Amino acid sequence: MNPARRTRLEREYALLGAILIAPTVLIFCAVIVYPLVSAIYLSLFQVFTPTLEGSWVGLSNYRELLGKEEFWTSLLNNIIWTVGTLSLQIIFGVAMALILHQNMWFRSLARSLILFPYFVSTVVAVLVWKWLFNDLYGIMNHLLIVSGLTDFPIDYLGTMPNAMISVILVGAWKYFPFVVIAVLARLQTIPDALYEAARIDGAGPISRFFDVTVPQLREVLVVIIMLRAIWDFKEFDMIYLLTGGGPITSTQTLPLLVYKEAFKLNQMGMASTYAVAMMAIMLVFMILYIRRTRSEEDT
Amino acid sequence: MKFTRKLAFNLFAWAIVLAVAFPLFWMLVTSFKPQFELFRRPPTFLPETFTLEHYWRLLSGTNFMIYFRNSAILSTVTTLVVVAIATVGSYSLVRFRYRGRESLAFIVLFTYLLPSVVLIIPLYLMLVQMGLSNTILSLVIAYSTFALPYALWLLRSFMAGIPEDLESAALVDGASRLGAFRDVILPQLLPGIISTALFAFILSWNEYLYALVLVNSDSARPLTTGVMNMLVSAFNIEWSLLMAASVMMSVPLIIVFAFLQSYLTRGFGAGGVKG
Repeated sequence: MNPARRTRLEREYALLGAILIAPTVLIFCAVIVYPLVSAIYLSLFQVFTPTLEGSWVGLSNYRELLGKEEFWTSLLNNIIWTVGTLSLQIIFGVAMALILHQNMWFRSLARSLILFPYFVSTVVAVLVWKWLFNDLYGIMNHLLIVSGLTDFPIDYLGTMPNAMISVILVGAWKYFPFVVIAVLARLQTIPDALYEAARIDGAGPISRFFDVTVPQLREVLVVIIMLRAIWDFKEFDMIYLLTGGGPITSTQTLPLLVYKEAFKLNQMGMASTYAVAMMAIMLVFMILYIRRTRSEEDT
Repeated sequence: MKFTRKLAFNLFAWAIVLAVAFPLFWMLVTSFKPQFELFRRPPTFLPETFTLEHYWRLLSGTNFMIYFRNSAILSTVTTLVVVAIATVGSYSLVRFRYRGRESLAFIVLFTYLLPSVVLIIPLYLMLVQMGLSNTILSLVIAYSTFALPYALWLLRSFMAGIPEDLESAALVDGASRLGAFRDVILPQLLPGIISTALFAFILSWNEYLYALVLVNSDSARPLTTGVMNMLVSAFNIEWSLLMAASVMMSVPLIIVFAFLQSYLTRGFGAGGVKG
C-alpha cells in the first residue's frame, strides 16, 4: 500500500470517528458543560428565583459562605453521614460477600434477595422504611417492645441522634449490595492454588483469610470505597425523603442545603455557591478516583 | 457432624438474607392487608384477610396509572436515545484515533461522578427559558445528564473487551468500517448493550430530584414524585395503599430480576469496579 493512500484512509477514519462522537459531544456541551460553567457563573450573582432577576455580587457569596454556620454544620453532617453509612456498607458488604461465596443452599436466590434493595427505587425504600419506623403501628417498635429492649415506642426520625442513625442504617441497607457484588466478583477470581498453598504451609482458616483473602481484596476495596464515598457524599433522595434534613437541620447535608437555598429560600445565586463549594470538596475524591482508573488502564 | 455444621451455617446465612429482605417482604404483605388489619396488635405475619382492594383503588381511583405511563414513556425514551448515542460514541472512543480522544474519555468519567445538584439550577433555568418546564421532554433532557455518561462509561469498557482482530479481519475481507461495525461489533456488543439499557432504564425509572424540581403538574409527573405526593397530600396516611403503590412501582424491576439478572451483574463488572 503506498503511503499517500494510507494517510488518506487514516484521515477518512479520523473523520468517521469524529462524526460518530459528534452527537455525544453536542449533548455533553448542551446539558453538562454549559450548565456546569453557568453554575460557576451564577455563584457570582444574587438571583431571586421567582423573578429570576439577578445582580452581580462578585465573590461576596463565597465570603458569606465561609462565615455561614449552616454551611459548616451541613458539611459536618455530610461527613458524618458519608463515613457512617460507608463503613457499614463495607463491613456488611464484605461479610455478606464472604457468606455468599460459601456453598450455601439456594445461593442464587439468596443473591437476588440481597441485590434487590440496591435496584429498588429510593422512593420505595423510603416508604417501606417509614412504615417500618411508624411510631404506633410500625413493626420495628413492636418487635423492640415485645423483646423488652424498650418500654416506649422510639421516634426514629423525629429526634436526634435517632434521625441520623436511622438515615445511616437505611443508607447502608440500600447500598451495601453494591459492595457485595463487587467483592464477590473479586473473590471468585482468587486462584484456589493460593489457598491450597497456604493450607499446605499449615495456615488455619483465620490466617488463610488474613494472609490470602484480605491482600487480594485490598485493590478492589480501595476502588469501591472511593466510588461509594463519592456517591454517598452527593446522596440527596434518601435523606431528603426520610427526614427532609430535620429535625430542624440535624440531618441536612450539602445537597439538601443547595436544594433548600435554591427552591425554598429562592436564592439561586447563593445556592450555586454552595453547589460549587460542594463540588470543590468532592473534586479531591473525584481526581483520586479518576487518576487511579487511568493508571490502571495504562498498565 | 459435617452435616450439622453445614446446617448451622445455612441457617445462619439464611437468617441474615431474610433479615435484609424483610422490609420488602413486609411491603408485599402490607399491600394485601385490609386497612383495619394494620392496626392489629400483635401484627399478623401473613394477611388474615387477603385483599386486592388497594391495587384496585390504586388503578381506578388515583392518578397512579398516569404517573406509571409517564414513567414508562420517560424511561423508555431516555434509554433508547442514550444507548443509541452512547453505542456509536463508545465505538469512536475505543476504536478511532484522533486528537482530544483521551481528554474526552476523562470528561466522561468526570461527569459520571458529578453531583446532580450542581447541574440542577442552570438546567432548571435553561429548561424554563426554553419553555419546556412541566413536560416529559424536559425530564428526558435532564436525565441524559447522568444516563449518557453512565452508558458511555459502561459501553466503553464492553467495547474494549471485543478483540480488535475481529474487526481487522472483516476490514481485510473488504468490509467498510461501518459495515464491520454493523456486522461484527454490534452482535458482539449486544450483551453489553442490554446491560447498559437495563441500567439506564432503572436509573431513569428511579430518579427523583430532577422530577421534583422540573415537573409540577400531574400530567407529566413520573412515579417517584407522584407516589410521594400521594403520601404528602393524603389526610390520613393509608399505608396499605402506599405499599401497593410501592409494589406496582417495582414491577418492571421484578421482571428484570426474574429474567435478565445476569445482565445486571455483568454491568457491575464493567462500571469501573474491576479491582
